[in-house]
Amino acid sequence: MKSRIREALYIGLFDALPLLRDPMLLVVISLFSFLPVIFIFVFADAASAMQSLIGAIVLTFSFTGLFASQSVYFNKQWFRFQDMLVASKVSPASYAVGLSVSGLVVALPGVLVALALLLLSGPSTAIGIVLLLATSLLLWIGLVFVGFAIGATTKNARRANSIPQVLSIAMGFLPPVYYPLSRLPAIAQPFAMLIPTTHAAQLAKYYFGLIQLPASELVIGWAYLLGFAALMGFLASRRAHWVDP
Amino acid sequence: MEVVRVEGLGKTYPGGTKALEDVSFSIQKGEIFCLLGRNGAGKTTLLRILATQLKPTLGRASVLGHDVLADPEAIRPHIAVVPQEARPQMLLSPYDHILYFCLIRGQSRTQARERTKKVMEDLGLWEHRDKLASDLSGGLRQRLIIAMAMVADPEVLFLDEPTIGLDPLGRRSVWHMLRELTRKGATILLTTHYLDEAEILADHLLIVDKGRTAFLGTVAEAKGDTGIGMRVIVEPAAGNGTAAPEVLEPQSAEEVLAIVERGLREKRKVTFKPASLEEAFIKIVGGSIEVENT
Repeated sequence: MKSRIREALYIGLFDALPLLRDPMLLVVISLFSFLPVIFIFVFADAASAMQSLIGAIVLTFSFTGLFASQSVYFNKQWFRFQDMLVASKVSPASYAVGLSVSGLVVALPGVLVALALLLLSGPSTAIGIVLLLATSLLLWIGLVFVGFAIGATTKNARRANSIPQVLSIAMGFLPPVYYPLSRLPAIAQPFAMLIPTTHAAQLAKYYFGLIQLPASELVIGWAYLLGFAALMGFLASRRAHWVDP
Repeated sequence: MEVVRVEGLGKTYPGGTKALEDVSFSIQKGEIFCLLGRNGAGKTTLLRILATQLKPTLGRASVLGHDVLADPEAIRPHIAVVPQEARPQMLLSPYDHILYFCLIRGQSRTQARERTKKVMEDLGLWEHRDKLASDLSGGLRQRLIIAMAMVADPEVLFLDEPTIGLDPLGRRSVWHMLRELTRKGATILLTTHYLDEAEILADHLLIVDKGRTAFLGTVAEAKGDTGIGMRVIVEPAAGNGTAAPEVLEPQSAEEVLAIVERGLREKRKVTFKPASLEEAFIKIVGGSIEVENT
């Protein structure tokens, strides 16, 4: 078990190393999800800025999950490191975990800065932070599976870059993650609830006391995120292969 | 000692493409075994099956006594692969690549540093250790990929067109390295399109065509079986620049002597051209091309 964790750690570090070796790029990437917060902070009230900060943390996790697709694609089809690692004692689970956490390693500085800002900007409870991280991690797991399914299916570098970017707009910037669900017209709100990032953001905002939700919506939110992760896990297991069929 | 054994191996991809059909051979310890064939002949498919990266659909294959399908975990710690068209991560140095592959393969940090230095020195990469891979020549990048495979000190090394894109000196340094490895007991299976490479390196070779065995044997046998002998080229006499050179295929020593005597008498340049593997390959695979075109 210890050796498997070590393998995963080094695979993750190796995958993240190009960014870790370039601090300027690291700053840009780790703070990418937080840029809209600055505009909301300048042009809206403090409560909206808090909502957007929580939304940014949720999205940082979801983007790193989605962009696992690039790691999967490039390691398999471009560098062909996956083939080299299959022919070694490295386990497929270590490889999958390693590629998944490499994005988190890169995003960690931004998340830590955001959490520090949250703690400084108002009353935050430890349980609020734990539940915010729990919803974000559950969403991240589901989107890592999406990333693996995309990365394993994509056959060219152009698509490997464009598909996660299009999905990040559709799942990050359009739905009510940075802004409150109530700002959407009533007719659009049920459609927004089809997107997993909306559920994660709603839960996280609730646990920080920024919005009120009935108990039934809390249950639906968690069930949706769990179901999404399970479904995407099944999809990824059908698409991503360690040994080609 | 038999290191690789393949019996009636076949592979049909999920889409229905038949890549291999009934291929059988074995490789002995310390051999360099070359796989030759046209593009799409099934070489990479065969190599990937033996390297436990692809599942066969027919027949059996074993490496180091373990079945590739039933027991791949027993094979993997003892092998390494240089995949076709593998390339380094351009924003990392050669040192980073090799060190991390050592660490991923389970070596301690001290062992990994020592092994990295040794492999880089052996492959002439040490002086380039801190450059970015993007600043390396094509040959050095390829050597880096080979070095990454070498960190495990594999018993069996699979190389898929390892010298493609290398300059003549780069190719020779890879050949030298492969010979050194076999001297230490490693067994090598490599695919190549360079027939001079196969001619120099191969202890045995397999020519696959349309997924089937077209030839299995030594280089000498390939030349012998196809009946390709020595060719003698007699250049036109001086002052007769428009005439084409004569290409002769002497069948006996007497005929060779007669040609040489004629060259001396007529003051014509005589060149001996030994039979090449390329000619044998074209004759072996060419038959199928002719059938294909009719």
